[in-house]
Amino acid sequence: MMLKIAFRNIFRQKRRTVLTALAMIVGFTLSSVFIGWSDGAYSDIISMFTRNRIGHIQVHHTGYLDKPSLYDVIDSYESIGEKIAGVEGVEAWTPRIYSAGLGSVGDKTMGVQIIGVDVGREVRATRFDQKITSGAIFSETAAREAILGVGLARILKADVGGKIVLVTQGTDGAIANDLYTIIGIAESGDKATDRMACYLHIDDAQDLLVLDGRVHEIAVLVEVLDRVPKITAAIEIQIDDTTLEVSPWQVVAKSFYRAMQADRQGDLIGRMIIMLIVAIGVLNTVLMSVLERTREYGVLKAMGTKPRQIFGVVVIEVAFIALGSIVIGALFGASLNYLLSIYGISLPQEFSYGGIVFQTMYAAVTVRSLAIPAVTVLVSAILVSLFPAIRAARIAPAAAMRAH
Amino acid sequence: MAPVIATEEVTKVYSGDGVPVHALRGIDLIIERGEFTALVGPSGSGKTTFLNIISGLDTPTDGKVWLNGKFLSRMGGNALSDFRRDNIGFVFQAYNLIPVLTVEENIEYIMLLQKVPKSERHERVLAILEEVGLSGMASRNPPQLSGGQQQRVAIARAMVSQPAIILADEPTANLDSKIGADLLDMMYRLNTQTGMTFIFSTHDPMVMARARRLIMLKDGQIERDEVRSP
Ligand SMILES: Nc1ncnc2c1ncn2[C@@H]1O[C@H](COP(=O)(O)OP(=O)(O)OP(=O)(O)O)[C@@H](O)[C@H]1O
Ligand SMILES: [Mg+2]
Repeated sequence: MMLKIAFRNIFRQKRRTVLTALAMIVGFTLSSVFIGWSDGAYSDIISMFTRNRIGHIQVHHTGYLDKPSLYDVIDSYESIGEKIAGVEGVEAWTPRIYSAGLGSVGDKTMGVQIIGVDVGREVRATRFDQKITSGAIFSETAAREAILGVGLARILKADVGGKIVLVTQGTDGAIANDLYTIIGIAESGDKATDRMACYLHIDDAQDLLVLDGRVHEIAVLVEVLDRVPKITAAIEIQIDDTTLEVSPWQVVAKSFYRAMQADRQGDLIGRMIIMLIVAIGVLNTVLMSVLERTREYGVLKAMGTKPRQIFGVVVIEVAFIALGSIVIGALFGASLNYLLSIYGISLPQEFSYGGIVFQTMYAAVTVRSLAIPAVTVLVSAILVSLFPAIRAARIAPAAAMRAH
Repeated sequence: MAPVIATEEVTKVYSGDGVPVHALRGIDLIIERGEFTALVGPSGSGKTTFLNIISGLDTPTDGKVWLNGKFLSRMGGNALSDFRRDNIGFVFQAYNLIPVLTVEENIEYIMLLQKVPKSERHERVLAILEEVGLSGMASRNPPQLSGGQQQRVAIARAMVSQPAIILADEPTANLDSKIGADLLDMMYRLNTQTGMTFIFSTHDPMVMARARRLIMLKDGQIERDEVRSP
């Protein structure tokens, strides 16, 4: 009966109910879009960061990640790569070689990071071709060619067509050096990388470093970002080699990952938006209806209804309205997020985060963007209704007797 | 058997806005089972205050009240609330039906609080509706009824759980005198049929004429108390 009264009370003052519901719907929708948008932006940032650079998952010799060493290598990487490619959800893989060295162009010398790449695989995996800002990409067969990071090229005053001398140490312990033709300039989006990077064809890099067909890293790209943890585990099982270590991007780029986590304040802001709107929109109207129904609640109490039952009537009525508003708000929020995930919003000004430049931001339809507002609307509506409900519960039953 | 209501030196002082108002100044009264009693007196004489106090809706400043043999002042919160539910039926001047509940739901409300089984509730609602002449109106909503009909529903609601006593504060004040007289006749019929005690306050001479006992209040005191033969 209390439920019946609470439910039917909703339809008594339709305008007021609509206003109350509207406050909750607007609050829900706003915060849903807010969260959906920030989720979208974060997953964009993450996917650009991983896709363009580190890959989603990396395989190394155990210990390499903590302390990279020229000697910690992956043997017969081709067959391991084949195994990885067989794992469901893997899109591409690409081998890499890393070494530190010195690079000289003319009379200028700089510390460089030599990065050996398999050009065909790197293009497929991380769109290496799109990073070339001038000049060309490596040809299929090694031809003593180098591509410089844009920052490094500037420092060395190097240009496409010039020559660079690389000096480093091979795995045989001897000093190795060679001369390469600069065929292109690359921009990865990360300034620190671009100041150091000197890309070589993987065969040239192996020759220079005396690696004999071995590499330091296999970067793996997956189809769906959210499935990285599962695929990481599947790869581990598939290659079944304790000397190798399989790490998801969260481990590879620990500090980036932590920064992303810490930065997720969108939720909090989203929640506060709702609370505020709900508090303003609901408190007043509920108080008003309690005041208006003073005599009615007084009658119920005179007849033997307990204060907590009256309390329940008020809170449940608000909860009903909140639930209805959540359903409607979820429809609005999800469809707005869906539209924003397709069309996005062009930013008036580019902004960059973690070295990645954004021009258009896209929202995402996530469970979080609906669940967080839903819980928040319900909880704040109930919280806000507590005060009027307590007042209603305390109404003196004698109020029923007074005619006006 | 104990009287339905007994009061001893009941006083009530309201301390509204600094100036104390002495609404009741020592009321000693005994009401026996089955009485059909009117409480009369000029406006402000304390009728509503007295009804509130004997029903436990309000507490006296001083004095003692027994209702159905129970000493009211010793009862607190929930016990008092349950006691009211089981012993007193209320009829109000403004009907005070719950507008969002149907006639049947209004009448069965107290039985629901008492956890009377559904089939019995339904039976009793139909029976009492017939008694008050509203058969067939069970599923109507109160706002669709006339004032007289609403007050009949209110009387049905007050009586259906068979409390010891029905308290009615000016039950006819909002009604035409013809309809008010019919209502009073009906209440008297129910009083003699069921033996339930009725106490009502009124200004209306026509209503007073139908009372078996008249208690006249003035300035919070009993000025006259007369029992009349039918
Ligand atoms: N809540 C209150 N606070 C202060 N004074 C009150 C309150 N209720 C009643 N009074 C005062 O107590 C006195 C008695 O009031 P009461 O309502 O009992 O009279 P009544 O006989 O029922 O009058 P009426 O015929 O107008 O209904 C009046 O002077 C009234 O102003
Ligand atoms: Mg009165």
